[in-house]
Amino acid sequence: MAADSNPTAITDAKKRYRAGVLKYAQMGYWDGNYVPKDTDLLAVFRVTPQEGVDPIEAAAAVAGESSTATWTVVWTDRLTACDAYRAKAYKVDPVPGTPGQYFCWIAYDLELFEEGSIANLTASIIGNVFSFKPLKACRLEDMRFPVAYVKTFRGPPTGIVVERERLDKFGRPLLGATVKPKLGLSGKNYGRVVYEALKGGLDFTKDDENINSQSFMHWRDRFLYGMEAVNRAMAATGEVKGHYLNITAGTMEEMYARAEFARDLGSVVIMVDLVIGWTAIQSISNWARQNDMILHMHRAGHGTYTRQKNHGVSFRVIAKWLRLAGVDHLHAGTAVGKLEGDPLTVQGYYNVCREAHNEVDLPRGLFFEQDWAGLRKVMPVASGGIHAGQMHQLLDLFGDDVVLQFGGGTIGHPMGIHAGATANRVALEAMVLARNEGRDIAKEGPEILRDAARWCRPLAAALETWGDVTFQYTSTDTSDFVPTAIAS
Amino acid sequence: MRVTQGAFSFLPDLTDEQIARQVAYCLDKGWAVSVEFTDDIHPRNTYWEMWGQPMFDLRDPAGVMVEIRACRDANPNAYIRVNGFDSSRFWEAVRHSFIVQRPKYEPGFALERTKGKGRTTHYQIRPYATERPEGERYTNGKR
Amino acid sequence: MNMDRPTAAEIIETEAQQAIDLKALRAETEIDALLEELDRDLVGLAPVKRRIREIAAFLLVTRARERMGLQSEAPTLHMAFTGNPGTGKTTVALRMASILHRLGYIRKGHLVSVTRDDLVGQFIGHTAPKTKDVLKRAMGGVLFIDEAYYLYRPENEKDYGQEAIEILLQVMENQRDDLVVILAGYKERMDTFFASNPGFRSRIAHHIDFPDYSNEELFTIAESFAREGHYRFSPAAHEALVAYIARRRAQSNFANARSIRNAFDRARLRQAQRLCETGGVVDREALQTIEAEDIRASRVFSETIS
Repeated sequence: MAADSNPTAITDAKKRYRAGVLKYAQMGYWDGNYVPKDTDLLAVFRVTPQEGVDPIEAAAAVAGESSTATWTVVWTDRLTACDAYRAKAYKVDPVPGTPGQYFCWIAYDLELFEEGSIANLTASIIGNVFSFKPLKACRLEDMRFPVAYVKTFRGPPTGIVVERERLDKFGRPLLGATVKPKLGLSGKNYGRVVYEALKGGLDFTKDDENINSQSFMHWRDRFLYGMEAVNRAMAATGEVKGHYLNITAGTMEEMYARAEFARDLGSVVIMVDLVIGWTAIQSISNWARQNDMILHMHRAGHGTYTRQKNHGVSFRVIAKWLRLAGVDHLHAGTAVGKLEGDPLTVQGYYNVCREAHNEVDLPRGLFFEQDWAGLRKVMPVASGGIHAGQMHQLLDLFGDDVVLQFGGGTIGHPMGIHAGATANRVALEAMVLARNEGRDIAKEGPEILRDAARWCRPLAAALETWGDVTFQYTSTDTSDFVPTAIAS
Repeated sequence: MRVTQGAFSFLPDLTDEQIARQVAYCLDKGWAVSVEFTDDIHPRNTYWEMWGQPMFDLRDPAGVMVEIRACRDANPNAYIRVNGFDSSRFWEAVRHSFIVQRPKYEPGFALERTKGKGRTTHYQIRPYATERPEGERYTNGKR
Repeated sequence: MNMDRPTAAEIIETEAQQAIDLKALRAETEIDALLEELDRDLVGLAPVKRRIREIAAFLLVTRARERMGLQSEAPTLHMAFTGNPGTGKTTVALRMASILHRLGYIRKGHLVSVTRDDLVGQFIGHTAPKTKDVLKRAMGGVLFIDEAYYLYRPENEKDYGQEAIEILLQVMENQRDDLVVILAGYKERMDTFFASNPGFRSRIAHHIDFPDYSNEELFTIAESFAREGHYRFSPAAHEALVAYIARRRAQSNFANARSIRNAFDRARLRQAQRLCETGGVVDREALQTIEAEDIRASRVFSETIS
C-alpha cells in the first residue's frame, strides 16, 4: 500500500511513549513485514475508512482497538511486554470492484485469549472496534484459529457422525419441518402437526424460534404433547424420530429445567436460539454433552449483523464460533429458499460446519485455511421457503449431510400434512437413488421428480402446487472473488 | 405397516439391478459393503446379525450380490440391509444403508405408556413380532 | 473417453440386425491400440501374441454374433497360461484383463493375482470364506491363479484344496459374466492337473503356451531394464552379459526374464560398490555405465555347469 502515510512503528522508546496522541501505525499496530505464526489467531476485516483516513492507518486502528490500544499513549504499556500483546495488521488489500473498501488482515497472539471462551474471544475481536469513528463501516469477514486454541473447546456435543448413528439414518439428507403457524396453537393441536409430519416421513419436526412458553401454550404442554406425537410416529414407522424442543427461556436456570424435562420424556434433541448468547450456548452445550442430547441451534437474530456486506460479522465467522462453542445443528441457509444467501457463499458456511479441514476458497468466502483438529462436525440445516420441487437443487448444492426443512412445504400441502411429508420423503429418496446411479440430477431433476410423481400422488400434488415457486432476489452477501464466468 | 428404516423405504422395493447400482456407488467411493439381517426391527436395535464380515477391496457389485442372495436364501423371513462403510479419517462410520429384503407381512409396533410423576409419560416401543422367539418371527407360525 | 462418440453397444444397436461394421467396433473399443502396445512392450512371445490376436478377434466377432441372434449364451472365457517361470504369464494376464474390459466382457478390468495360500485355509471352515473373498474381490475382473495345480493334492485325502476347487468350479460355471479365471503354471504339471480335474479342463476355453525366451530375447530384455533405469552396458559388459545368459540358462532354477531381472539388479549393486570403493569424482558417464566386472563377478561364472 501507499507509503506516504509513514506507516512505520516508532522504535525509539523515548519518542514512542511521550505523552500525547500518535498514529496507530506509529504505535506498532502495523507491520507489513509480519509473517503470521501458526499459533496466531488471524482475522480479516472489511474496512470502509472515513474520507481522508489512510487504509493502513485504518487497519492499524482496527488492530489496536481490538487488542491493547487506546486513543492516546499510556506509560503503563511499559510495565508489559507490550509488543507481544499488540495485534499486528500485516496486509491491506483493496476489495475487488468496490472502491473505498479494504480487506485488512490482522494477527493476534494466542496469549491474548482465554481458553474455551467465545465470550472472551468476541469481546476482544468485535468488542469496540465496530463503533470506531474513523471507520464508516467495518465487517469481520473471516477468522483462522490455531489448533492450540481450537483444542480448548469441546465442540459439538454429538456431531454428524454420532448423530447419524444414534438416529440410525444414513445415506441421505435428513428431513424436517417447522410447525406452523408459529404462534397460537395449543399443545394438543401442536402435537397433531408433529405426529402427522413425522408419520408421513419426516425425521424431525421443529419448534420455531419464538415458541417458548406463551399463554396459548405453556412449554410443558408442548413438550408432553410433542413427545406423545414423536413416540406414536416411531411406533407407526419403526424409525427414530425427533422434535426439536425449544428450551430457550429468560434465565439459564429455566433453560436447564426445560432441558431436563425434555430428557426425562425421552427426546433425542433440544433446541436453543442464537439470541441466548455465547455463554449460555456453551453452558447448554456442556449439558447436552452430559445428557446425550443433540443440540439444535436456530440462528435467530443473526441477520441483524450478518446480512449487510459492509458492516457486521459474516455468518461464516458465526458458524466457526458456533462449531467451537459446540452445537450439533445450525441453520446455514438454503441458497434457493426465501432467506438471504447466494449459493457459493452458503456452501462456504456448510464447509465450515462439515469439513475436517477448510482450504482457502475465496469464491466461497473462505479467506483462511482452518484445521479443525478433530472437532466434531456440525450438521447444517437448510430451512425457509424450500419445497419438494427443489429437491435436485438442494441435494446437488449440499450433498447428504444436511437437514432439509420444509415447513410450509409440508404443512401447506393440499392433501394434508401427512401427504406433504410423504411427498418430501419420496422426492428425496428418488433423487438420492438417481444420483447414486450416476444420473445428472442438476439437469434431470425435474424429470426424476415427475417420474416419482407418477406413482406418488402426494408428490404430484406438491409439484402442482409449488413446482414453479422460486425466490429470485439478488443476494446482498455475495463473494467478492467470483471465478471468471464460463458460458454454460 | 411398512417399516421405513434405511435410505429407500419410501420407494417401491428395489430390484436387484437397482441394488447392484447402489452397491457400485459405495464401491466407487471406496467404502466397504456389508450385509446384515435381523428379525428384531426395533428402531434401537443397532446390532443386526452380520452376514459375514464387511467386504473390503471389492471392485464390482457382483460379489456383494452373491452374499445378498445367499443371505436371503438362508433368512427368507428376515429384514436384510446393505451398508456402505467409509473408513476414511473423520468418518469411520456407515455412510449408506438400505433395506434389500423385508418380511411379507409387517405387524408393526406396540406403544406402551407408563404414567410417571405428574403428567409425565414414559414410552416403550415393542415390535409385535418379538413376542415370538428369535427364528420364529414373521414365519406364520412355522419354524 | 469422448462422450460424443457412440458406444460399442450403440454401434451394434444401430447398425444392427442386418450388418455390423466390425471396423467401427474395433475403433470404438480401441482394441487395436492395446494389441499394438502388447506387440511393442513385450519382447518375443510371438506365438502368445498371435493367440491373443486370435482371441481378441474371436471375442469381437462373438459380440457381433450375439447381436445378430447367432450366439445364444455368453462365451466361456476362462484360460490356461502354461510355461516356465519368467515367461511373461502375469504380464500378459494384466494385458488380457484390459483387452477383455475394452471388449466389454468384464466390467472393471482389474487383475487379482493369487496362489494356493490365498485360497486354501489352515483349518476346517477356513477355506470357503477365503476362496469366496478372493472371488468377490476378483469379480468384474480377472482372477489369476499362479501354479494352480497346488490346489490339488491327491496324496492328502483331507486337503482343503478340494473345497477351493469346488467353489472355483461353481463360480466359473455360474458367474461367467462376473469374472474370468486364468490358471497358470508349468505346462507338464498343468496337464496332469487337468487330467485329474476334468471339470477345470472343460471350463477352460483358451490354452496359451508361453515358450522360453531365446538368448537373444533375454539380452533384449536386459537392455530394456537398463534403459528404463537409465543405465547402459559398456561394450565389454555387453559381451559378459551374452556369456552370462548362456551360462545362466544351463544352471538350476533358471527363470527366464525373472533371472535376468535379478542379474541386472545385482549388477547395479556391484556397480555402486565399485564406484564407492574407487572414490573421488564420478561423472555422469560412470554413474550410468555397467562394466563387465559388474557382471562377471556373478557366481554364475564360478559355478560349474551341472
